[in-house]
Amino acid sequence: MFGQGLLKGLAITWKELFTRKVTVQYPEEKIPLPERYHGRFELDVDKCIACGLCANACPNKVIQITREKVGKKQYLTRYVMRIEYCMFCGFCVESCNKGALRFSHVINMNQYFRDKVRLVLVDRPVPEVLPEEEPAKAADGSPAETRGKTARAEVAAGKAPGKEG
Amino acid sequence: MGENIFTGIAESLRAFLYGAGVPPLASELIVLIVKLLAVIIFVSLNVVWLVYMERKIAAYIQCRIGPNRVGPKGLLQTVADVVKLLAKEIIIPRRVDKVVYLAAPILVFVPPMLAFAVIPWGDGMAPIDLNIGVFYILAVGSLSTIIFWMGGWSSNNKYSLVGGMRVVAQMVSYELPLVLSLLGVIMLTGTLSITEIVNAQRGTWFIFAQPLAFLIYFIAGVSEVNRVPFDLVEGESEIIAGPYTEYSGMAYAMYMLAEYGNMMVISCMCTIMFLGGWLAPFGWTFLPSWFWFFIKVYLMIFIFMWIRWTYPRIRVDQLLGFGWKVLVPLSLANIFVTGVGMYIYRAIGW
Ligand code: SF4
Ligand code: SF4
Repeated sequence: MFGQGLLKGLAITWKELFTRKVTVQYPEEKIPLPERYHGRFELDVDKCIACGLCANACPNKVIQITREKVGKKQYLTRYVMRIEYCMFCGFCVESCNKGALRFSHVINMNQYFRDKVRLVLVDRPVPEVLPEEEPAKAADGSPAETRGKTARAEVAAGKAPGKEG
Repeated sequence: MGENIFTGIAESLRAFLYGAGVPPLASELIVLIVKLLAVIIFVSLNVVWLVYMERKIAAYIQCRIGPNRVGPKGLLQTVADVVKLLAKEIIIPRRVDKVVYLAAPILVFVPPMLAFAVIPWGDGMAPIDLNIGVFYILAVGSLSTIIFWMGGWSSNNKYSLVGGMRVVAQMVSYELPLVLSLLGVIMLTGTLSITEIVNAQRGTWFIFAQPLAFLIYFIAGVSEVNRVPFDLVEGESEIIAGPYTEYSGMAYAMYMLAEYGNMMVISCMCTIMFLGGWLAPFGWTFLPSWFWFFIKVYLMIFIFMWIRWTYPRIRVDQLLGFGWKVLVPLSLANIFVTGVGMYIYRAIGW
């Protein structure tokens, strides 16, 4: 019959009119992110040995590491990601032998000002003695221990600025 | 229940004016102006609502939710849009024909408003009860074309020009079946008065007596208001926005809103000519007549929107071919069959 297709089309749209809507109202509702989602980076400072493999692996030169020699070991003082150049390829995370660098599920990294975009994962002063080398001193309440703690607390509290997360 | 709200208001206004000692001619004039103002306000509110309704229906058909942020359920979305557009600059490109360019968006609301003046919104609720109402609406309805053409011509833009040409071509080829399809109804009733045509449908609505005419009128109507699948005039994938290309701000919004105004005119005409106007179906008179009219008009509008979000746009040659090779002969055949049928009925003395 002529015009059958037209009626069929109308029938389809009529049915769609009443089907369940698929829109997810973003800020109120969220779709659960997959396990391996590439969100904001997080760094486990205690695991990181400041080897710089991640910085080398990055094609975009996003990662900037500053380290100091404390005793016999490298000590990570600053770990900055110029995240505005990052393409979230994940090479850095893959290259980390210690599993220190990971992706988190934080996705809203938007900022009002460009200079706030930069992701500072670690920014801490150099201790005189490394925390793990001072079990003897820790007993008599060396300030080094507390200082190390504050530094880490600072990192945890998130040098990552502004309204993220 | 509620049947006499509006006629009652008009009556009491008249009585009040009479009591205040206003001469009868002046008081009639005042009542008329109030009626027309009421219609204009009603139509404007409707147009704003229709934009929202269109977006909602589009969204629902596409499994989305549609506007839902501004106001409860997004009801104020169109208001926000209009306010935004009001605040925007109306850009006048260099070397446009300024007078015509600016006159077009102002005038574009005039034809639908003129048509609404004679539409009976309920039993005895036509602001002006013309005895040649159908003729008047058809005459006024085709005026829009000139205004679109004005906009297209004066914009000094090739897309606008092509759009304007298309408006005219489309109007010439679809106005004919539009008018011819109504002839069947006019032959049956023997009158051009809208009120009498509606009253003639007390027995059967003309959609049952003249189904083909209804279909032709509806298709030609969709084309008249330049809606999908006949929206070649503003086919954005081909000619950006047709005659509206160069317009911005409120001038553009006027065109958009006028489109919905025109759609309402066609829906009202469908309702009046084929769906029994304000008459209640099955004698369900528990709802007032104006409410039935409203429901039917909105049903038609819904079908317009439903079609818009179902069909793709057709080509220009298909459009003109369909108009001239299918609709015009069909409507002529309809007139012929109607005439023969009436003759036979009369011969056997029904
Ligand atoms: S995800 Fe890719 S681009 Fe981003 S920091 Fe890691 S290696 Fe560099
Ligand atoms: S590769 Fe891993 S351990 Fe090495 S510097 Fe980067 S984050 Fe630290």
